[in-house]
Amino acid sequence: MYRWEKIDNNKVRMEIEIPDTEVNAALDQAYRKVVKGINLPGFRKGKVPRRVLESRFGPEILYEEALEILVNPGYSKAVKECQLEPIDQPEFELVQIEKDKPLIFKVTVDVKPEVELCDYKGITVEHVREEVTPEDMERYLESLLEQHARLVTVEDAELQEKDLAVLDFEGKIDGNPFEGGVSENYSLEIGSHTFIPGFEEQLLGARKDEKREVKATFPEDYFREELAGKEAVFEVLIKEIKRPQLPELNDDFVQELTEEFSTLEEFKADVEQKLKTSLEHRQKVALESKIIEKAAENSKVDVPEVLIERELEASLAEFEYYLRMQGLDLERYGELLEGGLEELKKERRVDATKHARANLVLDAIIKQEGITASEEEIEKQIREIADRQEVDVAGIKEQFSKQGRLDIMAHEIRYRKVIDLLVKHANVIEVEKAAAEEEATDEKDTVAARETEADAQAGAFPAENSPEKPEA
Amino acid sequence: MKNPHDIILKPLITEKSTALIEENKYTFVVGKNANKIEIKKAVEELFDVEVRAVNTINMKGKKRRVGVHQGYRPDWKKAVVTLQDGSKPIEIFE
Repeated sequence: MYRWEKIDNNKVRMEIEIPDTEVNAALDQAYRKVVKGINLPGFRKGKVPRRVLESRFGPEILYEEALEILVNPGYSKAVKECQLEPIDQPEFELVQIEKDKPLIFKVTVDVKPEVELCDYKGITVEHVREEVTPEDMERYLESLLEQHARLVTVEDAELQEKDLAVLDFEGKIDGNPFEGGVSENYSLEIGSHTFIPGFEEQLLGARKDEKREVKATFPEDYFREELAGKEAVFEVLIKEIKRPQLPELNDDFVQELTEEFSTLEEFKADVEQKLKTSLEHRQKVALESKIIEKAAENSKVDVPEVLIERELEASLAEFEYYLRMQGLDLERYGELLEGGLEELKKERRVDATKHARANLVLDAIIKQEGITASEEEIEKQIREIADRQEVDVAGIKEQFSKQGRLDIMAHEIRYRKVIDLLVKHANVIEVEKAAAEEEATDEKDTVAARETEADAQAGAFPAENSPEKPEA
Repeated sequence: MKNPHDIILKPLITEKSTALIEENKYTFVVGKNANKIEIKKAVEELFDVEVRAVNTINMKGKKRRVGVHQGYRPDWKKAVVTLQDGSKPIEIFE
């Protein structure tokens, strides 16, 4: 028997009663389990009769075990029957447990808050239509060339940005050499800012075999305290200047790059196609996330703290994974960061809140529209994955169901559908790129970063920006 | 007469004795020199029940050794008391 009441917008208190027959059955079961571990003189282990056990240890000895048997199933049954959607671990409060009497306990749990949906059909958003421009092509090809640039030693030239200079140098502070201030044949890329500020700039224009004196000040927050803030004088000898030389963009280059194409024309066409697809995809995701965001903003919902926390945790975990690949971890990163880890969390929290809100709203729409993911649709998706990974369909299905991935997939499919529905009914205003230029620039990086993740998250807009590498 | 508590020392609760309760038989550790008649009277007085029969067994103490010294635990007497049909149970065993 269940009674429940709302004590807050998203908190529910339930009183659950479990009939005495079930209680007794559970106590029997509990006895059978508990008795196995009881050692009492005069009895072989596990042979203590229930009456003796209860009179020696008190009936309470069975309660804990019995509660474990009763409470959780009773709770989930009650949740199902009352059609609640809990989002957090429940808190239990025991009212009564006794032999031959019904078990009564109270549960307080956070449930999904009610969402007051806005008119989600016909959301108006501005969308910036972008095309692949010749400049985009050029930029892409140029960076490609740069990646394949060769360093060529130049004899008679002035040092300029992007050159690689081979140097000997000796640094002194107040006329005294210091540790790490001397090196020979050091290869320094000008403009890479490997050295302390000002150093590289003062070498510009130097020629081979030229000697220069460079004055540079260590920054105040330099990692070696004894040097921080000090001015040093470096004797620098330029031994060699190497200049990156871009390969020529022609058929030969293409052939060297890939076996797929033999002429530049073909290659360019392919590049254009690829850029186009990627841009289209990016635009689609951007549009979708805009619509979702709008729908979320317009709907009324109190986002419970737990959900935000959960999103935040997920986002931080993902970020940490990213850091791990670079050999850092979250704590070290926090130390390097201005404001520490707290600042990062605060920043991420904003996105996490948005994300949680959007999920709630989407769930509410799914419910209202009665969107479901059918067996066949899940089946289809599994088959696609199986094809891609070239494994057996039945095998992968079993594996997924063991890992609980099937539910996640169903969830993804529902999300996909609801997003499609939103997009279909949305009122998209196409804006010329120039008009929205200013707005778009700061959003661009975000959009680019979303591209890869978007599929995995079924288009729900990810809170991830591509994290910046900390400056070491 | 002796104090009944000097005759009936304590209930003996073991697997075997709890099984015997089914047959209305209750087992006690009793004084070494108590006899069946004394035991019957003492049980009737202490627990307010009717006794049909008393069986006694002298239990030898077990052999124990502490270092080089060898000895025995004290001997004791066990009494199995059968109650009359319809007599109320002895609650100390519950």
